[in-house]
Amino acid sequence: MRADGLLARLDHWGRLLLPGVVLLFFVLLTLAPLRVPYISDILPLLPALTVFQFSLVTPERLPGPLLLAMGVLLDLLLGGPGAPVGVSALGFVLIRAAVVNNRRYLVGVPFLFQWIGFCLLTLGYVVIVWVFTALFTWTNLDAGPALAQYLVMVVAYPLLAPLLARVRPRDPLNVPESSRGTAQPGETTS
Amino acid sequence: MAIRDDFEVAASQVRQAVQRFALALLVVCAFAAMLIGKADTVLVENARVLALDLASPALEAIARPVAVANRTIADLREFATLREENARLREENTRLLAWQTAARRLENENDRLRELSQFREGPEASFITSRIVGDSVSAYVRGALLNVGRKAGVTSGQAVVTAEGLAGRIAEVGDNSARVLFVTDVNSRLPVQIERTRERAILAGDNSTLMRLTLVQTVQGVQRGDRIVTSGHGGSFPLGIPVGEVVQAGDGTSVKVRPFADFSRLEFVRVVDYGVTGLVGSGGPPATSLPPAGPRGR
Repeated sequence: MRADGLLARLDHWGRLLLPGVVLLFFVLLTLAPLRVPYISDILPLLPALTVFQFSLVTPERLPGPLLLAMGVLLDLLLGGPGAPVGVSALGFVLIRAAVVNNRRYLVGVPFLFQWIGFCLLTLGYVVIVWVFTALFTWTNLDAGPALAQYLVMVVAYPLLAPLLARVRPRDPLNVPESSRGTAQPGETTS
Repeated sequence: MAIRDDFEVAASQVRQAVQRFALALLVVCAFAAMLIGKADTVLVENARVLALDLASPALEAIARPVAVANRTIADLREFATLREENARLREENTRLLAWQTAARRLENENDRLRELSQFREGPEASFITSRIVGDSVSAYVRGALLNVGRKAGVTSGQAVVTAEGLAGRIAEVGDNSARVLFVTDVNSRLPVQIERTRERAILAGDNSTLMRLTLVQTVQGVQRGDRIVTSGHGGSFPLGIPVGEVVQAGDGTSVKVRPFADFSRLEFVRVVDYGVTGLVGSGGPPATSLPPAGPRGR
């Protein structure tokens, strides 16, 4: 097969776009009227999970500006009157930065460590969203539902993460030298 | 060569600086978005409506299979209790038939009395039926997205009802989509009256499953089991739409109301077009409002 054949190009673009498309899908799914208990609880945090998981695996395919746009879109779609626009964007960007700057504690380590990292970062995300929403609407918002969502998401993480982690960090056959990174051959992420 | 080297060095320095400050830049952008949202609410409102209109087809595509799955699950659950359900329904049916007779008699009597007193009825309401294509299930908002909008005659502030009672009011309208703010949302304030005593009050949501009855003149006058209906004040809501039932009262603290509408199984709702936009809706009268001679759906 030629290197620039149609299939190869499709493969290339598919790999490039997959994380962004999955994130967009989850942003839209946040609004889907699923009436299943527990599942509808974790929906609002699925985009955050996607950002965390893909930032672990392929941060270069989920650049900051894209996260910013997705966060703003999520806030526009989700928020009612008076809810802040851009708070999810802030959370996404901070999650990505935290993951990228702590790769050595999160990549190629036992799954438990990833889980703990996810718990800490998502807690930060939930707290940020709560603080800014409360400041914006200037009401003492009940944090109970948000914490319930958080707890369900923490429990659901081991079920969902392996699915998203199937996205391979890089094309094993045709990697440009510049994006090879520091990972050693045989290093896996889950 | 020296110039070119200098240029490359400068360029790489700029690139490094940008990379170093990329995070700060993004954070600043997010804050800027929040500030713009606070300062220019009209712009944000328009952006919301645009996003809703764009996302609405995708949401509708997602909503259909989800609705089928939900219905299948509900069906399976109902199979288990089919026999008891049947018996209960038959009993209820006999009871309701008696009520129907009473209602017919009262309606006739009412009509005749109105003719006698030349009573002028308020504007007649017509309904726009809509499918719910999205939930706002964020921890801080109680609402839903509808697949009808300005083109169907929906305007901001109209009442949204289910078969059981009031669900909420229209908060934002796009061309083919609209957002409902449920009565349980923390931003919802609804002028109501207590059906038994005709006393007026304000029903406030707090994002929980129950609502709070505030500004009641005499708390002692409210009892458990009292029905709460809309009072029609504010103009855009018809009078007498059932809203909920008092479940906690009398201990002098606060009166809690449980909504009749079951927000966990909403699939179709009706938007009440009452002909007048009232005080709640923002802006002037709609340019493309429906003719007032809509079918009277009561």
